[in-house]
Amino acid sequence: MASQPVDSVFLEDATWERVDKATGGAAASCFQCGVCTAICPWGLVKEETISIRKIVRQAQLGLPGWSDGLWLCTTCLWCESRCPHEVDITKASLGLRRLAWKERQVPPGLPTLLWNIYFDGNAWGRPPSERPLWAKGMAVKEFAPGDEILLYVGDDAAYDRRVQKVARALVSLLEAAGVTFGTLGEREPSSGDPVRSVGHEEYLAEMIDANARLFQEAGVKTMVTISPHCYDMFANRYPNLSGGFRPLHYSQYLLELIENGRLKFEKKLPLKVTYHDPCYLSRRNDICDEPRQVLRSIPGLELLEMERSRQDTLCCGGGGGRMWMETAGGERFSDLRMREAAETGAEVVVTCCPHCLSCLEASLSVVAESKLRVMDLAEVAHLALQGRTATSDVASRRP
Amino acid sequence: MRPLHIIACVKVVPKPEEIRVDSETWTIQRDGVRSEINPPDMNALEMALALKEQHGGRVTVVAMGPPTFVLYLRLALAMGADEAYLLSDRAFAGADTLATSYTLAQGIRKIGDYDLILCGEESSDGATAQVPPGIAEWLNTAQITYAEDLEVLPGSGMVKARRELTGGYEVIQAPLPCVASVKAGANEPRFMDMERKAWAEAEGPLTVWTATDIDVDPEMIGLPGSPTIVDGVAQAEASERKREFLAGTPEEQAQALVERLRAYL
Amino acid sequence: MTKSLYGAQEASAIWVYLEQNQGRLTGVSLELVGKARELTDGRSIPLVGVLLGDQVSGLAQEAIAAGADEVRVADHPLLRQYTTDGYTKAFTELILAGKPDILLLGATPNGRDLAGRLAVRLRTGLTADCTDLRLEEDTGLLVGEVTGFGGGILAYIKCPDNRPQMATVRPGVFAVPAPDGARQGKVVSVPVNLAKEDIKVQVLEHVDGQGVDITRAQVLVAAGRGCQGDLALINELASLLDGEVGVSRVPVDEGWASRDRMIGQTGYVTRPKLAIVCGISGAFQFSVGIEKAETIVAINTDAEAPIFEQADYCIVDDMFDVLPPLIEAVKRARGGNGGR
Repeated sequence: MASQPVDSVFLEDATWERVDKATGGAAASCFQCGVCTAICPWGLVKEETISIRKIVRQAQLGLPGWSDGLWLCTTCLWCESRCPHEVDITKASLGLRRLAWKERQVPPGLPTLLWNIYFDGNAWGRPPSERPLWAKGMAVKEFAPGDEILLYVGDDAAYDRRVQKVARALVSLLEAAGVTFGTLGEREPSSGDPVRSVGHEEYLAEMIDANARLFQEAGVKTMVTISPHCYDMFANRYPNLSGGFRPLHYSQYLLELIENGRLKFEKKLPLKVTYHDPCYLSRRNDICDEPRQVLRSIPGLELLEMERSRQDTLCCGGGGGRMWMETAGGERFSDLRMREAAETGAEVVVTCCPHCLSCLEASLSVVAESKLRVMDLAEVAHLALQGRTATSDVASRRP
Repeated sequence: MRPLHIIACVKVVPKPEEIRVDSETWTIQRDGVRSEINPPDMNALEMALALKEQHGGRVTVVAMGPPTFVLYLRLALAMGADEAYLLSDRAFAGADTLATSYTLAQGIRKIGDYDLILCGEESSDGATAQVPPGIAEWLNTAQITYAEDLEVLPGSGMVKARRELTGGYEVIQAPLPCVASVKAGANEPRFMDMERKAWAEAEGPLTVWTATDIDVDPEMIGLPGSPTIVDGVAQAEASERKREFLAGTPEEQAQALVERLRAYL
Repeated sequence: MTKSLYGAQEASAIWVYLEQNQGRLTGVSLELVGKARELTDGRSIPLVGVLLGDQVSGLAQEAIAAGADEVRVADHPLLRQYTTDGYTKAFTELILAGKPDILLLGATPNGRDLAGRLAVRLRTGLTADCTDLRLEEDTGLLVGEVTGFGGGILAYIKCPDNRPQMATVRPGVFAVPAPDGARQGKVVSVPVNLAKEDIKVQVLEHVDGQGVDITRAQVLVAAGRGCQGDLALINELASLLDGEVGVSRVPVDEGWASRDRMIGQTGYVTRPKLAIVCGISGAFQFSVGIEKAETIVAINTDAEAPIFEQADYCIVDDMFDVLPPLIEAVKRARGGNGGR
């Protein structure tokens, strides 16, 4: 694209305006200062980072291949958090993806992702009848309006065998605290996060409408999600859900249970851990303290901090639909993150997001010399509750 | 050459995991099961839409089945098809591949002016792969089965396609009109355009034809027109994984495994 | 009722289509001869092989050794390469002259291409992609077992009135019979009326063997971290089984294998009949790419590896200890059944 001189392009108003329309003018206040491009985490692993300014410009000019760099964005929000003019870069980025859908400039695999959600109701194209199988052997019932909470399991915890263990650990914690809860079983819909993250706004709108109706009819008030991505969806993108609807990430809910004295960790868990903040909790929703407070309430557990933590966390690489696109070896943020985690001297990296869990575990091999493991917060809390000291049976396995 | 007119034949099939055999009546329970457009038919539709983008013209979708299939034809319109026809009549029910291909061929004749008829290689429920050659025979056109890649050669009135064969392929050329069956996974079907979906739902050009609307011999459609009969059905063994652990020395394990894999060797 | 071109009273004999490719008989043709021989046992039904091609009569003896009583050979230069038009026309004439009761074809791509066209031309019933065949005790009607709905349902299909009763049969479900060189049979050359104008289609290129496409593989042997960069045994087993080599993400990252062999969510979703998964723990992103396999074998040192939760046959051992005897055992097992 760079090889094509810009002055050879015939400018048409319609070509130009379609970008403003798709992005909702999100990039209008951009002063072209370049901070976003300079600090984009892709710069840590590649020569070239995402230049949203350049993509916007190329799209406005209608240059062929304008969307090529667009799909790298993990929507980690790092650029936005540093933008001096508070440009809604995610909105611009997702708006451009929306335009790319219109113009059929979409990476392979993403249309199939949407069809899977359309026909099967989940991002993995698995039968809805298998959705409740994660709870096999546990007493998890269908949600009833009198229940304290609806547990929203989500596509990852429902189908991914690794993340199923997180859901099961969480159920044990809820049971120990005497919480009455249920799930929507086979009827549980996809939250819409994968659809949003790949920028198909129109389809997302249809899903949100249908889902909101379902939750309303089911009488859902307090909803606890396992994935921060689902939490972000329900907390920020379901305008029709109001009137007592209270979405929580499970780290928030666990802390409530602890503070109310319903959940207590009495036995010591001598474990050195470091906590990896998922972007969709920390930067997007300012949930940094709650998971840490849950960890601190476990006696014997030592929490070590990485340099990039809280609002300054480094993305695992799995957001923005990247879970459904391949990231080449040597270009994975999670490799860097695991090295940072190993440097703290921790035995376990704790996180509380299915995407972070998958990406970080897939990068365990870069710290093969250490004894580092990856665990979910729910798994650590469950371990503490059981009073077990060995981490081997719950901690993640080396792939 | 006049603008290209491509007809894509689609079938709506139940999701395989939803299918159960009624243990009393020994019939397949299809009521209320989740369905989808037969996946290779989606590949055929995608190929049709891509050819239209390349050469201009129009894409017509045709299906045979109960009125509920209208919903799925709207999805095809939302993907980019220009119009859709559903051949729907109780008299069509119970058709085997002979009667099905006859009925579709008569529907296609009535639609008329076709250049290329694209079908999926086979359906995920019946899996016979016999309907596309059947349509070609009824319409007396050339046929290209298991096409992976298909080009329309402008001006010459020909198509060129790469056909998948066992352990190889061939490239063949055929005159239009022609029936081609498209290999599953030959492409990635585009997702719907939601604006088109709204249009398809509100005013999509969708026509339902009964047996009297198309010129069919009543003796050649549905159950009466089907020379094959189903003599019984059974549920295949549960598809759950066996998870059998083979014990012993590596030699013993290898031998035990080979005994269990005979069907594949 | 759609009437076939001749009726049951006139029909006799089982015919088997002897599909040849570049002058070699396909394995499924011999499998069908073997099965048809078994069906005719104890009944006085002639078993006829039908061979179409250009100077292919030399193949007739192979079918006779496998059990055919007679082979009809249609030799014509325009039949050198398979075309739907040429083969359908020549075969139809043969059928109308010989009026078989049953006609069996292999469910190969060209076998199904031909069968589908023939059945409509003859206005008869066709049971497609059978996984078993039998003759009904009292009526002698052919009953084909077929699977539907992704293999979840078995159905038994017959064609009571129209003739021939046609069926295509999935390759590999029956064994190739051991050849009996002493068997005698008739080889009959039949006339072929075929002109260039009869054939609408032109074959521009015919290639046996092609580039890597793991999504099409019937057998996949997959390797992961556990192979430690050594794919020699994996390659050997794959080629022995006429399969392809697939890998998880690690071998791609490490440069041991190319990206076009990667199985998984961000690689290729495959649906082989058989997958032998070696040294792969089975993370979800991998397993979604293999779970549609009919049968999964897992070989891994770690008894707790998640791959064992979704395998049919599990071997907890080092792949480097298991693969050599496995390769030997496969060779032994294929000894009497090679060359399909």
